[in-house]
Amino acid sequence: MSRRFTALVVVAVLLAAPLLLGNAFLQRVAALVMLAAISASAWNLIGGYAGQVSIGHAVFFGAGAYSALLVYKLTDWPPIAGAPVGVAVSLLLACVIGLPTFRLRGHYFSMATIAVAELIRIVVSNWQFVGAAVGLMGPAVPRSLADLSFLSPLPYFYLFAAVLAVLLFLTWQMQRSRMGFYLGAIRAGERAALSLGVPVLRYKLLALLLSAGFTALAGSLYAVMVGFVDAESALGILISVQMVIIAALGGAGTLFGPLLGAAILIPLQETTNALFGGGGTGLTYIVYGAIILLIARFRPGGLLELLHWRRRRVA
Amino acid sequence: MILLQVVVGGLLLGAVYALFSSGLTLIWGMMNVVNFAHGDFVMLAMYVAFLGYTVLGLGPAWFIPLAAAVMFLFGLLVYFALIRHVSRGPMLAQILSTFGLALLLRYSAFWVFSANFVTLPDTLVGGNFAIGGLRLQASRLVAGATALLLTIGLDLLLTRTALGGRLLAVAEDRAAAQLVGIRPDRMQALAWGIGAASTGIAGGLIALFFYISPTVGESLALIAFVTVCLGGFGSVPGALLAGLAIGVIESLSAYLIGPVYQDVVVYALFVLVLWVRPQGLLGRA
Amino acid sequence: MSPEPLLEATGIGKAFGAFRAVDDAGLAVREGEIVGLIGPNGAGKSTFFNCLAGDAQPTAGRIVFAGKDVTRAPADAHARAGIARSFQVPVTFEDMTVLENVMVGAFLRQSHRNDARARAREMLEATGLTRLADTRAGSLGTPGRKRLEIARALATEPRLLLLDEALAGLTPTEVQEAIGLVRSIHARGITLIIVEHIMEVILSLAERAVVFNQGRVIAEGPPRAVVDDPAVIEAYLGRSMRRRTAPP
Repeated sequence: MSRRFTALVVVAVLLAAPLLLGNAFLQRVAALVMLAAISASAWNLIGGYAGQVSIGHAVFFGAGAYSALLVYKLTDWPPIAGAPVGVAVSLLLACVIGLPTFRLRGHYFSMATIAVAELIRIVVSNWQFVGAAVGLMGPAVPRSLADLSFLSPLPYFYLFAAVLAVLLFLTWQMQRSRMGFYLGAIRAGERAALSLGVPVLRYKLLALLLSAGFTALAGSLYAVMVGFVDAESALGILISVQMVIIAALGGAGTLFGPLLGAAILIPLQETTNALFGGGGTGLTYIVYGAIILLIARFRPGGLLELLHWRRRRVA
Repeated sequence: MILLQVVVGGLLLGAVYALFSSGLTLIWGMMNVVNFAHGDFVMLAMYVAFLGYTVLGLGPAWFIPLAAAVMFLFGLLVYFALIRHVSRGPMLAQILSTFGLALLLRYSAFWVFSANFVTLPDTLVGGNFAIGGLRLQASRLVAGATALLLTIGLDLLLTRTALGGRLLAVAEDRAAAQLVGIRPDRMQALAWGIGAASTGIAGGLIALFFYISPTVGESLALIAFVTVCLGGFGSVPGALLAGLAIGVIESLSAYLIGPVYQDVVVYALFVLVLWVRPQGLLGRA
Repeated sequence: MSPEPLLEATGIGKAFGAFRAVDDAGLAVREGEIVGLIGPNGAGKSTFFNCLAGDAQPTAGRIVFAGKDVTRAPADAHARAGIARSFQVPVTFEDMTVLENVMVGAFLRQSHRNDARARAREMLEATGLTRLADTRAGSLGTPGRKRLEIARALATEPRLLLLDEALAGLTPTEVQEAIGLVRSIHARGITLIIVEHIMEVILSLAERAVVFNQGRVIAEGPPRAVVDDPAVIEAYLGRSMRRRTAPP
């Protein structure tokens, strides 16, 4: 009972915080934390719960981001109308990557995710139809509320928080259900999982589809907020790396790990960017590399493991 | 005639791909760990070669062995400081550790050497050969021939020597190898040393004719993955065959479709291999 | 006892390249039997066992379980058909609790969490693990893991349970407890095939023993009779005898 109360207080404070901040920079950072938490929580479904490490999730994020602005460019509809298209494209890509590699052991899936992500990035950055090197723009001036174009970061914060809440609720339900147990079994040992009748391929694919779909949604939301995409900002390797590092830092395979990771990493990154400007990008990568390496070496369970000795108690 | 020229150029490049991919396949076959930093190892070796030339004033006959030696030690360091501790842990930790290492190396190189391309003077192994109407750069010819010989040498080391037997015994069954008095830990460290040394030599050879930049490792890593998958998990002869094939395919697509898409063709080939023949050309089913 | 065997494997062969680990081996098991597979190390009994469990696909032969051909079916289909197994080296889900481990098995027949948990608790009770329900599986010792594997397999509600050296590495007291456990499983109406090194276990549990040597079945019958069979004695002792009598 007291745990539930604590959780409520934490949520209430988190939701009210941006209002109290009153500072546009901090409010923007808060919105970005929510957005990063959405994509990292989506990554967590396949990378954390199912233990199949994708290092090319940018391809799904990019599919969502590009679809939103492409639909706007072609039809003049509000960018968010492109989200379902992005999700559909992502599911297709997920099948292309997952179907062959999930039959194989070990690292083929990880390698395939990088290869497909790079492939799509190069194609997109040379393809005039999707803006090639220039990228795509959203509506310059908001035409209606449906364009979801706001000056203040606050509406974005609440929009993203709502999407995150839906995703975390679904994840929580999944974690407690047969699927959660089956994914845990697959992560721990496929041979043993198969011996207990777990249809391993089907559940890995299901986790990847869910993950890809929500990552695409995060990409569409990003495009709606920023109003601009190009290959680097939507499909670059940094996007993939960020999802992995945020989830792993907080705790891969835990419900709130990605949110915790985002709350630590995004403010850090935005502050470095504000201080060093564009020149900080290289440094960001070095720090990311070092953090990933140190987590893997010393604390593969992530930070949440420090708080709860028992990773999760669902039974 | 131009087409033949392109094919021969591709074969020479492919031999170098085969060399460093053999290192990746050796490590993968030995302990089922994929080195996601493998391409960045090659990048590091290229800079070692570059520094060997510019700072120490060494010629190729010296800076290539230097790069091999430095990378061998670096491979051992990575094994003992990192891989050893994660290789038995969850797959997440295995993948993140070498992937984190890749980012660290790549962007530290950015920091130290800046994003600018550097090159070794192309007169280092100068001149062109004309063989029956084919014009070949001497540097590429030397690199291709050396890489080919060393890849075959690595295969002979693994299949014909007592040391190779011990390495393969650990790859086959770690526990059984231990029972007959082989120390798996040492053999795995050695595999990392040899695997890294192969990137050392390959990096030195590539530096003879290619520009050096911090991000060059990214596409080289993907080439190594494709080579290993196409050649079959753990197979050096497979890597040789696949490396040569990929060199040719890459050169042909650069010539026929345009250099921008040469990587795209290689990655698409990778996905195709996964769909059609995941066990590779010479791999066991 | 039904006239049709519950499991019938005929002409099973499994080759790894040129090496034939199992060659033309057959076995028929009636419902309610306990059959022991024995043989020297490397005799092919584990490979044969893995073929029955769907973990390895035989390169020759046919396996019929409860009237259904399962020769080429993957391991998870075997489990759904009603064949459960334990592993020689236990593979528990280390980060989960003991109860959660067993729930994974229970989810095969129960789709709701509460039903799966109830079923899992029942299995823990039956295997004497109730006390350890909330312990992390990774912190159990070998006997505990072996028990957990059995509980997990039972939770899938199998008709046939395959035990791969489930008693190896246990102390004599633990072996006695485990024999009691196997008897109680049998009393639930579950058919068992056990691979075992310890002859005592086969003698006290199995109604029938099947002896493997060099990939083939060389003897079959009541355990007492089988251990006195000269061919079996030769298989077990032959190599060491020959080595001892071989000229230097």
